[in-house]
Amino acid sequence: MARYGMALNYKNCINCRACESACKEENGVLLLKDHYRIWVGVKEAEGQFPNISIASQTYHPSQCQHCENAPCQQVCPTNATYYSKDGMVMVDPTKCILCTYCINACPYDARYVDNRTNTVDKCTFCSDTRLANGETTTACQATCPTKVRVFGDLDDPNSEISVLLANKEYRQVKEHLGTKPKLFYIL
Amino acid sequence: MQTISLKKLFYFEKTPLNLGIAIVTVALLAAFMAGAVAYILHGHHVYNVTRQHPWGLLIAMYVFFVVSSTGLCIISSIGHVFGIPEFQQIGKRAIAGAIITISSGFAVIGLEIGHPMTMLIYNVLTPGLTSAIWWMGTLYGLYLTFICLEFFFLAIKVNHTFSKIFGICGLLVGLAAHSNLGAVFGFLISRPSANGVFYPVYFILSAMITGCYLVFLMYGFRYKMNFPEKVSVMLVKLSKILGMLLAVLIFFEAWKILTALYGDMPERAATILHAIKHPNFWFGELILGMLIPFAIILVSNAKAIKATIYASITGMVGIFFMRYDLVHDTLLYPMTTLKRAEYQVAPSFVEYFPSAAEFAIGFGGIGLALFMYYLADKVFNLDETESAHH
Ligand code: SF4
Ligand code: SF4
Ligand code: SF4
Repeated sequence: MARYGMALNYKNCINCRACESACKEENGVLLLKDHYRIWVGVKEAEGQFPNISIASQTYHPSQCQHCENAPCQQVCPTNATYYSKDGMVMVDPTKCILCTYCINACPYDARYVDNRTNTVDKCTFCSDTRLANGETTTACQATCPTKVRVFGDLDDPNSEISVLLANKEYRQVKEHLGTKPKLFYIL
Repeated sequence: MQTISLKKLFYFEKTPLNLGIAIVTVALLAAFMAGAVAYILHGHHVYNVTRQHPWGLLIAMYVFFVVSSTGLCIISSIGHVFGIPEFQQIGKRAIAGAIITISSGFAVIGLEIGHPMTMLIYNVLTPGLTSAIWWMGTLYGLYLTFICLEFFFLAIKVNHTFSKIFGICGLLVGLAAHSNLGAVFGFLISRPSANGVFYPVYFILSAMITGCYLVFLMYGFRYKMNFPEKVSVMLVKLSKILGMLLAVLIFFEAWKILTALYGDMPERAATILHAIKHPNFWFGELILGMLIPFAIILVSNAKAIKATIYASITGMVGIFFMRYDLVHDTLLYPMTTLKRAEYQVAPSFVEYFPSAAEFAIGFGGIGLALFMYYLADKVFNLDETESAHH
C-alpha cells in the first residue's frame, strides 16, 4: 500500500492560482465563497517603499494535510471520516451527519460544507478522479507551471517525493500539535 | 396522573404574570415553528454559520438546555438519591424540568445537525469511539431514558425503590454525558483556548449552578413568592449551596483566564484577551451570571429568598452568555493557515452574529420548554405528595 503525501517547493510559487482553478474544475467544487479545497496563502513583502524586500514575499499553497494522526478523524462520531488504505483521510458522505465537529477540530482550516451533498468535503488527493484511474498526479500538480508540487508515495524510497525529502530540509505546519501532517514545505 | 379535559388543560388564572408568560410562550413557539420551516426549506443557508465559524447560537442553546437538564438532575438528587430530607420536595418538579429541558435541547440540535436520521443509524453501525460527540450523544440518550423512568416511578406509578435506582443511574450517566459535552470543546487540539481538562469539570459546576437558578425560578413562580415554611427552609439551604458553588466558579474562571494569559501563547492568550474585553463576558457572564446573585446571597446571608429569585433571572441570562461565549470564543481566532496577510491586511478575529432563523429556533426552544412545563404542571402533581416521605 502506498502512503501518499505532497512536497511543496513553495519558494517557486508565483501565486498564479492555476492549482485552485484546476482543483475546482477537477472535483466539481462549487464556485462559492466558503468552498475551496486548496488555497494559496500570502506573506506580504516586508519593508517600506522604496526599500521593499522582494525576497521576503512568499506564497504558501496549502490544503488538507492528510494527517497521519488526524484530529478530524478522531472527533467524527460516525466514522464518516476515515483513513483510506493509502493513508489518505477521506469522508464518506453517506455516513456524515453534518455535525461540523471535524471542521472545528482541523487545525488547518481544510474542510468545508459541500452544498450538493450537504456533507463535509475536502481535498482527496484526486483519488476518485485520477488515482482510481491509474494516474499518478493530482490536478493541482499537473497544472502548476513552476513545478511547486510533488505528489507521491512516501513509503517508496525511490519515489520523487521520497528522494526529495531525503535530500532537502523541509518543515511542516503546526507540527507541535502531533497531527503528523503529510504536506512538506521544502526550505 | 389526573384525568384531564382539554378545556381544563388550557384553563389558567388570568393574572398579569400568567398572561404575560402565556403570550411569551406562544410567541416563542411560533418563532420556533417559523425557524424550523425556514431550515427545512433552505437548510443551513438560513444560519449565519460559516466555514470559519461552523458552530453558532444553536449549539450554544443546545448546551444551555442540557446544562439546565443536568443541573436540575443533580440538584434533585440531593433529596431523593442522597436522602437529605428538606430537598426531597424538589424531586418531581426538578426531574420533570430535567426531562423538559433536555427534550428542548434535542429539538434545537435536531435542527442544527444536517442529517439527524443518518446520525441515529451510523451512531450505532459505525460508532466513533474516540469522538466526544459520540459519547455525549449516546450517554444523553441513555440519560433521558433513565430520568423518564425515574419520573415514572416518582409521579405516575409511585415506587421509591425504582425511582431511586433510576435516579442514581440517571445521575451517574448524566454526569458522564455532561463532562463529555465539556470534552467536545476540551478535546479540540486545534483551539488552544478550549483544549484541556477545564471544560469537562467546569460543565458540571456550571450545571449545578444552573440547576439552582432554575429551582429558584420554578418555586418562585409556583408559590408566587409566598412560601410555606417548609419551602422557604429548603430555599435558604439551596441558596447557601448556590453561594458556595458561585464562589468556586469565580475562582475557577479567574484561574482559567490567568492560565490562558500567562506565557502569552499566541492563539490562546490573544483569544482569551479578546474574549474578556467583550461586554458579553464582563457584563453578561460576570455581572449578570455570577456577581449579582453572589452579592445578594453574601449580603443577605442566604436569607433573601425573593431577591435570590430575581437574581436567578439575571443568573440565567448570564448562563446564556456563558454558553454563547463558550462556543464563540472557541472559534474566534482565525485559522487561515499560512495566510499571514491578504491584500496587506492581517487575518482578523472571526466575526459571527446569529441570523433571524437562529434566534427564532434557539430562543424558540425556550417556548417549547415553557409550554411543556405548563403541560407537565397541569397533568402531573409536581409537588411532594404525603406518601413521598417514606
Ligand atoms: S499553480 Fe503552482 S505556482 Fe500557481 S499558485 Fe498553485 S502552487 Fe503556486
Ligand atoms: S488537515 Fe485537517 S482535514 Fe486534513 S487530515 Fe488533517 S485534520 Fe483532517
Ligand atoms: S461533519 Fe461529518 S465528517 Fe465531520 S465529524 Fe461530523 S459526521 Fe464526521
